[in-house]
Amino acid sequence: MSRRALPLLGMIAAAAAALVWAVPFAWMAVASLRPGVPANVAALWPEPPLGFGNYLDAWQSGDFPTWYLNTVLVCGGILAVQLVTVTMAGYAFARLRFPGRDVVFVLFLLQLLLVPTLLIAPNLTTIVALGLYDQLPGIMAPYFASAFGVFLMRQAFRAIPRDFEEAAMLDGAGVFALIRHVLVPLARPSLVAFAIVSVTFHWNEFLWPLMAVSSPSRQVLTVGLASFASGSEAGGEWGVLAAGTVLVAGPLLLAFLVFQRRFVSSFVFTGLKG
Amino acid sequence: MPRWRAATFRIRARPWLLLAPSLVFLLAFTYWPLVQVLEGSFRDQAFGSAASWGIGNYSRLFADPHFGSAAWNNVLYAAGTIAPSVVLALGFALALRETTLFTMAARTLVVLPLLIPLVAAAALFTFVFLPGEGLLDWYLGPLGLRAVNWLGSPSLALGAVSAITVWKNTGYYMLFFLAGLAGVPQDLLDAARIDGARAVARFRHVTLPMLGPTLGFVLPIALVNALVQVDQVVTVTQGGPSDSTNLLLYYIYQQAEQNHDAGLATAATVVSVAALLMLTLASLRTMERGIHYES
Amino acid sequence: MPTMRFDMTRRAALGAAIAASTAGLAVRARAATEIEMFFPVPVQGKLATEMQRLIGVFNTQHPDIKVTPVYTGSYDDTNFKTRAAIQAGRPPAAAIMSANFIREYVIDSAAIALDELIAKDGGTPQGFMAQFWPALALNATDQGRVYGVPFQNSTPLLFYNVQAFKDAELDPEKPPVTWQDWVDAARKLSKPGADKWGIAWPNSYDYCGWLTSTLAMANGGQYYDTAYGGQVYYTEPATVAALRFIHDLVHTHKVVPPGVLDPNGTTAAFFSGRVGMILLSTGALGFIRDNMKQPFRVAFVPKNVVNAAPVGGGSLIIPAGNTPERQAAAWTLIKWLTSPDIAGQWSRFTGYFAPNRAAYDLPEMKQYMAANPNAGVALEQLNRYGRGWFATYKTVPVRKAMEDQVQAILNGDISAAAAAARAQSDADALLRPYLQQTALKLPT
Repeated sequence: MSRRALPLLGMIAAAAAALVWAVPFAWMAVASLRPGVPANVAALWPEPPLGFGNYLDAWQSGDFPTWYLNTVLVCGGILAVQLVTVTMAGYAFARLRFPGRDVVFVLFLLQLLLVPTLLIAPNLTTIVALGLYDQLPGIMAPYFASAFGVFLMRQAFRAIPRDFEEAAMLDGAGVFALIRHVLVPLARPSLVAFAIVSVTFHWNEFLWPLMAVSSPSRQVLTVGLASFASGSEAGGEWGVLAAGTVLVAGPLLLAFLVFQRRFVSSFVFTGLKG
Repeated sequence: MPRWRAATFRIRARPWLLLAPSLVFLLAFTYWPLVQVLEGSFRDQAFGSAASWGIGNYSRLFADPHFGSAAWNNVLYAAGTIAPSVVLALGFALALRETTLFTMAARTLVVLPLLIPLVAAAALFTFVFLPGEGLLDWYLGPLGLRAVNWLGSPSLALGAVSAITVWKNTGYYMLFFLAGLAGVPQDLLDAARIDGARAVARFRHVTLPMLGPTLGFVLPIALVNALVQVDQVVTVTQGGPSDSTNLLLYYIYQQAEQNHDAGLATAATVVSVAALLMLTLASLRTMERGIHYES
Repeated sequence: MPTMRFDMTRRAALGAAIAASTAGLAVRARAATEIEMFFPVPVQGKLATEMQRLIGVFNTQHPDIKVTPVYTGSYDDTNFKTRAAIQAGRPPAAAIMSANFIREYVIDSAAIALDELIAKDGGTPQGFMAQFWPALALNATDQGRVYGVPFQNSTPLLFYNVQAFKDAELDPEKPPVTWQDWVDAARKLSKPGADKWGIAWPNSYDYCGWLTSTLAMANGGQYYDTAYGGQVYYTEPATVAALRFIHDLVHTHKVVPPGVLDPNGTTAAFFSGRVGMILLSTGALGFIRDNMKQPFRVAFVPKNVVNAAPVGGGSLIIPAGNTPERQAAAWTLIKWLTSPDIAGQWSRFTGYFAPNRAAYDLPEMKQYMAANPNAGVALEQLNRYGRGWFATYKTVPVRKAMEDQVQAILNGDISAAAAAARAQSDADALLRPYLQQTALKLPT
């Protein structure tokens, strides 16, 4: 096979696959713009009548401004604390040797499995006991320690050549300064990746926020979306559901499109070492 | 205290100081609840009678055919989601590693599913899989596949549910492969090309080994996801039809929420966690053997 | 953290306000009782907004009570959330609970009996329940004591496509009355090769159990013990025969598509003309009316032995663990929400029945019924043939024991007799602990 053909074939295959991937979204976008239940619900191209009626319905079915605010506060609060805890713990596992390290590492590893959803009932009791029930910090608290983040930072720090640290320590830097000023900037791509994953996960979480908070003024977007996504006795209003999904995922999508350039370029330039 | 002793203490204490914030939350929200769950699993409380300590919950658990289905289905689900999503993610990453307008567009399309709540993805796919009118049947109709009830027949439902997971996760893993590929030194690849190695050989002997750490990261995550991502089962199939999409975490959720059987729920949690732990350790050990670190 | 500081400021302000009022500066004797009400939205979207509007009206009319309506997801989520809140020691003062879950709340002592509150108003349990449709008492009471006040209800109904009937040379004025008529009509409507079917209904979990019980009862069966949560009758001859009927519909008469459909799939098939007749909840009347392009009508569910229509829907309960003051406030709210006027409003908005019979004497309701003859058919079925909604100890798994088997029947994997036997033995295993503590506990 010629040297050119393989990459080209790969491109075509990837393009086709990417298009297939996009089909549910294409449908979602088109369906959200068709009010009522049209005859060809499955049609992927816009057909009149088109309109924003579904968006109005979706917007009126809920309190989007409040939901947006709460979701941003929850995701931001969780991320802020996580960045501190995972960089510190990640460094400890990447560079330091201490008795009991493997045991503690396993404790962290287990947390990947023991997700809060598994332990929802006892966690709720803990939240209540701490006086955090029906408070936004109550949603955030179980996530402040992130084994996933620690794992990621450990790999990232281990991949950084020791020369940087040795130079900094020769300059008299303490551990916290070392982490903050030397390692974190070098590990930025991993931190960015972690931030994206963390925010996305918590933006889209449903069951725990539903449990931990009862006041309408403290609900998050997913709980709001669920009010018109679930139906048991009546049928499905696909258009409104599609519109509501767009409203919920829209900010994340925009953020990704903005972030994406910086995100991708930092991954590429990280390859230039030394 | 002599200075060297103070210094030693500082050095000894350092890792624990660094770990302290994480450990506090870990203990409060993972291990304390785990203790509560463990304790609950050995507390045998049938309706109306007093609680007694014993393995009653465990014997009931292993005698329950629903638990058996859930366990077996989960094995199938893991195989049916991990392999396709990792392979596809790697494929996409390889094909789209250059940064051009085209690749960025394609990457965005593949990563998009990451951005919506699983509850909503599940609802979208309910429409995709709708018999007759849904996206799949509508467009496959002319090909002769009339009105297949993807989610309504026990032989197809698990596959359909797996498809939702693959659709959602592939972009996520692709992000990590892209990062890993960016870390493959271009000089090594150029050297190999100069030596006459073809694309496939370059992939096998240069790229793939250097992706070791990334794979070592993605595989355990995928394994965990196969056990933890059950939102679509909760909202779309509820374990059915006829238990064919029952998964371990869903079984636990059912016992806890619907059946109010704390005994079975906690026992199942303990068993699932133990199994998962062993599998993860095993897969990590295997990966660690082949991993190449620079430092 | 900004949120916490804000809350602390609010709490401090509230504390100051309370202090000021108790210092004798207040006009009212006590501050408003603040309570929450958990409510599910089991049907599409705007119900949550409408509920919030209604509660706003209540709060304005009752300055001494402040109700916060809390949307809690589906019936199942609401159940989970209420249970968790009770366990966490912070139960809501009121909750709209799926009617078939109430029995378990009684068994677990998780909801209070409302008899005392009724007595305070000078009434009796029977007198109180008399204002509601008779069938609703089966799920709202336990041994004569009232635990739930019906808020919204539905029954299954037969919807049929008038145009499809005409095309198949069936008379739309004469919908099927017996199972024989039903199969005959369905045969004319079906063309399996062309993906056209005579009958379909949702067989996903919850709906499946509901409609299976409907068919069993329509065949003369009891299906479950309405007085005691420890027994189900899956292997009684009438029920086994009903299962055989379902089997035949799919595999012998070939008028029902194989496989499991969920509610969305069923309505989609009805709208597109793929299916000529469907069984669906009366709660979907509004939705079908808004989205069905071709003319359609409704009729009673066909019978083989008797007409039967088990109810669905939700009732208001007061969970255990509330102070008497909160209970009293909740009781005021409950009475208001279930009064004829409000029940009527909610009914017209959602498509559910108004459980309060007097609601149908009000002028707006009369107008509505005159303009919607379909609603009249549904109401008549409820009044004459309403039955209880399947409820036992551990309702959900015991219900699923049958549903798993019915789903297997639909997919051709099992015979009716074997399905019934499996379902019964699974159910018996689940019910055993409860039986041992109740019916099997004889004096020594």
